[in-house]
Amino acid sequence: MTKWNLREIVLMAILGVVFAVIYLFFFTVGTGITNLLTPFGLGPFGYEVIFGIWFIVSIITAYIIRKPGAALISETIAGGVQVLLGSPAGPMLIVSAFIQGLGAEAAFAATKYRNYSKGVLVAAGVGAALASFVWGLYHSGYIALSLPLLSSMLIVRVISGALIAGLLGKWITERLADTGVLRSYALGKEWKKKREHKAS
Amino acid sequence: MLTSINPTMKAFAVLIPALLLAFTFDPLTPFIYLVFTVAVTFFTGEVAFKRWILIVSPFLLLAASFAWMTMLHPGGAFSGGDVLFSLWSFQVTTESFRAGISLGLRSLSFAALSLLFILTTDSTKFMLSLMQQCKLPPKLTFGILAGYRFLPTFRYELQVLRQAHRIRGVGRARGVKERMHQFRRYAIPLLANAIRKAERVALAMESKGFTGETDRTHYHEMTIQTRDWVFVIVFVAMFFVSVFLSYQLGFLNIFGKQF
Amino acid sequence: MSIKHHKPLISVENFSFGYDPDKEPLLKELSLTIHQQETILLIGPSGSGKSSLSLCLNGLYPEAVEGWANGEVKYNGTPLNQFKKGEINKEIGVVFQDPESQFCMVTVENELAFTLENIKTPREEMAGKIDSILRTVGLTEEKHRPIHELSGGNKQKVALASVLLLNPALLILDEPTANLDPASRFEFIQLIHSLQQERGFALLIIEHQLDDWLPMVDRVIAINRGGNILLEGKPEDVFYNHADQLKAEGIHIPRIVETVLDGNGGRVPETNRPLSEEGLVSWMNSSGMDRIPTNVQARGTSASGRNEVLSIRDVSFSRGKRSILKGINLSLHEGELIAIVGKNGAGKSTLLQVMSGILNPKTGSRLLLEKSYETWSEREMRKVMGYVFQNPEHQFITDTVYDEIAFGMKLNGVNQDEIEYNVHQLLQRFHLLSHIWSNPFALSGGQKRRLSVATMLEDTPSVLLFDEPTFGQDAQTTKELMQMIQTLQQQGTAIVFVTHDMDLVDSYCEKVYVVNGGEVSFSGKPDELWQKPDILHEAKLRLPFRVRINQLLENLHVDEKEQGVVMAHANIH
Repeated sequence: MTKWNLREIVLMAILGVVFAVIYLFFFTVGTGITNLLTPFGLGPFGYEVIFGIWFIVSIITAYIIRKPGAALISETIAGGVQVLLGSPAGPMLIVSAFIQGLGAEAAFAATKYRNYSKGVLVAAGVGAALASFVWGLYHSGYIALSLPLLSSMLIVRVISGALIAGLLGKWITERLADTGVLRSYALGKEWKKKREHKAS
Repeated sequence: MLTSINPTMKAFAVLIPALLLAFTFDPLTPFIYLVFTVAVTFFTGEVAFKRWILIVSPFLLLAASFAWMTMLHPGGAFSGGDVLFSLWSFQVTTESFRAGISLGLRSLSFAALSLLFILTTDSTKFMLSLMQQCKLPPKLTFGILAGYRFLPTFRYELQVLRQAHRIRGVGRARGVKERMHQFRRYAIPLLANAIRKAERVALAMESKGFTGETDRTHYHEMTIQTRDWVFVIVFVAMFFVSVFLSYQLGFLNIFGKQF
Repeated sequence: MSIKHHKPLISVENFSFGYDPDKEPLLKELSLTIHQQETILLIGPSGSGKSSLSLCLNGLYPEAVEGWANGEVKYNGTPLNQFKKGEINKEIGVVFQDPESQFCMVTVENELAFTLENIKTPREEMAGKIDSILRTVGLTEEKHRPIHELSGGNKQKVALASVLLLNPALLILDEPTANLDPASRFEFIQLIHSLQQERGFALLIIEHQLDDWLPMVDRVIAINRGGNILLEGKPEDVFYNHADQLKAEGIHIPRIVETVLDGNGGRVPETNRPLSEEGLVSWMNSSGMDRIPTNVQARGTSASGRNEVLSIRDVSFSRGKRSILKGINLSLHEGELIAIVGKNGAGKSTLLQVMSGILNPKTGSRLLLEKSYETWSEREMRKVMGYVFQNPEHQFITDTVYDEIAFGMKLNGVNQDEIEYNVHQLLQRFHLLSHIWSNPFALSGGQKRRLSVATMLEDTPSVLLFDEPTFGQDAQTTKELMQMIQTLQQQGTAIVFVTHDMDLVDSYCEKVYVVNGGEVSFSGKPDELWQKPDILHEAKLRLPFRVRINQLLENLHVDEKEQGVVMAHANIH
């Protein structure tokens, strides 16, 4: 935590807060899809399809700040803020968020925090999906489900993590860099160099 | 009473039973615990029933849906027993029925535990307590509080954005690509503003002499007293009471193993 | 007050600062001194690095932005880098511009406690100190309230209170009133004035709207666009003797000074160079000026005879059980410019939203171009009626300035060549052509404002609604905006804006509606409103500068006449 300056910490916290709100919103989206699928006993698939959205803050924060812990802490904060906002998933959500964050963090740690290419960001999304799935086996009792159902859930969740968290996260962050507000962060600096390079 | 329990201790009091409940797969254990949690919530008279019901209702639906999925698609360890009824090509057996009800009740117990925590805890005090009791770094503690403070601003901004989009003639999004753009249209202004605010707040905090050192005095001194320990112990003990009762009545099931 | 014999508190020697080592520095080789108890006004065009300088003085820059600096800043003779982290911040307090982003705690009480905890105040002393500082800034009632529920003015008072708890030797005010309405701004300035006399801190004020600060200023430092010191000296010397030089740099001179210079044919008066409104009044009196002429920019002819474009009859609106608008009547004619004014929470913005069709009222009727709102299709309505939001960024929905303007046309199925042509026309007119491929968010404040208006003009709309268009903008942007608005007005567009700025109302509006408690408490010509002190007071409105001065002058004349009568009486006896 010593290498972090206050500006980066507050940024991470605020991103956590913004995405806590977005996460809660997508909870209702998920509920909507669930209602459609419930009669077939596939209700919770409604959440699986969009599960990636719940990892996105990890990818965005890590991509912007590029310091150890960014993915893990931002996701945990988002989880904590959802609790404070009144998500009935409750304090357990902090644990779930922590574990998802760990999954994403692992991908960045594997590159020693040096590589933030598309592949790594997608890997982080997949990492979060895997971690959350293992946690779900225990915490949500997925273990009681049949193997074919479980494996299809896993596949859907991994794809969602790769696409929504990894790719959409990358895309959103880069559109944000275009606005110029990230100038004093790692991504903003890289972006500026790229643009100057293009211009010359 | 509930409001004055140390927030960190209260968090542990709801977290530990929740972690333990995840081991059980019979309907009775989570049911007893659910009854206990709801009883404690209303016994102290600090939580309005109407508000509680309002927040818990979407979870009722989710719990029911999850229970239903488990009944129709049970794993090997839960598919035994007599067939209760069948639907399309699915067969619901006594065991899968029990597992389904158990998982539904479990998620309701989680929800009830959470509400007990949320509705009786001041978020600022929770963060301060995490800093004072769990040694969360002050930079992180106050950083999170600073972010949290922006919630009302975000809510307001979202509303304004919705109106502004309408004025610009942005209609309802159709199709994946359009939806992505829609998401972007909301996310970018919101995030851009958030990032600028983060910078300003950090400067303002440092201007007020904040350094992030752990050596600071506390206006709200958060303490842990005997009753906080009692509270945690009662909540954990109650889990074992539920398990014991369930065992006595012949229901207990841990990870598919009947006791 | 003579400052010379006070010790220097801060001395800056050959100081340069920049964000990027490869680029031109923002501040170049500055040298200046701030003495104990001195009040300094720091002025300069937007982007000249005034705020950066103030943050260099309290040691947060260059570190906080990973910039670089050369030269030395000394506090009481000790270089800043020899202070421990956080130490210097106890000596130099800052109040920033944006009331929304200076706090990290939810309630007033906890925010103040945060500062006290930072300086390790023993817990027993905190409650007493919090209560006492709240009394000082007049917020005792608000102690337990969430900060986000307070008005902008009160938020800034909380920011001030928490900085005062540090007991700083120097207080830096970085445009603290730029986002406040005129009445709150005046109140804040008065508060600073009395606090300084009580506590004797030195003050460094960064501001664009100078008039109300002038009477307390000891010295003015002006920075130019290049980051050098342009002028330094006593306020009367700087503003009166170098007015042209300041204007050339894009720095606005105080209206008091401007009025005197205008009244004196551009020459600087030799003996008396007033810096306060009272001073101005007595100067005008002694030099025979009896009033400031009406500064009406383009007040159209009377509305009668022109077509009514929008009409609201007996409209009421409520949110839940709370009634927000009650029985509002309003009518708007072609080419008319009207203002809706009133205090915070009076229902102004709601009224504007009801007019725009974003909100639908409970009762009453609304007509747009003689057709009821309900019969308009959304798309058609948006074509004839535009709405410009307070924060331009809220309206941006694409990645480039070009797409931003083309968006509506594409939606309406205009063909590509025509879009191309129209976009270029509009961008030319709004001086944005050189930014055609820029990201809208990356534009400057003034450019964003222009773009937000341009997006509403693909067809010339019949009605254009503005929600506080000049809020938090500098004088230059305001001027540009008003010029655009007038051009539109001449083309027949009817314009409505919600504002707090009575000077704007005085110079541009034909008609003004005062909303108070959800009802229209006045509607009529601005000049009639200025004659109604009760209504102004109730709606917390401050008279415009021109009217204030003229009323003071009138009172002076009345007093003199009365004195004359008394004198005559005395002579008889």
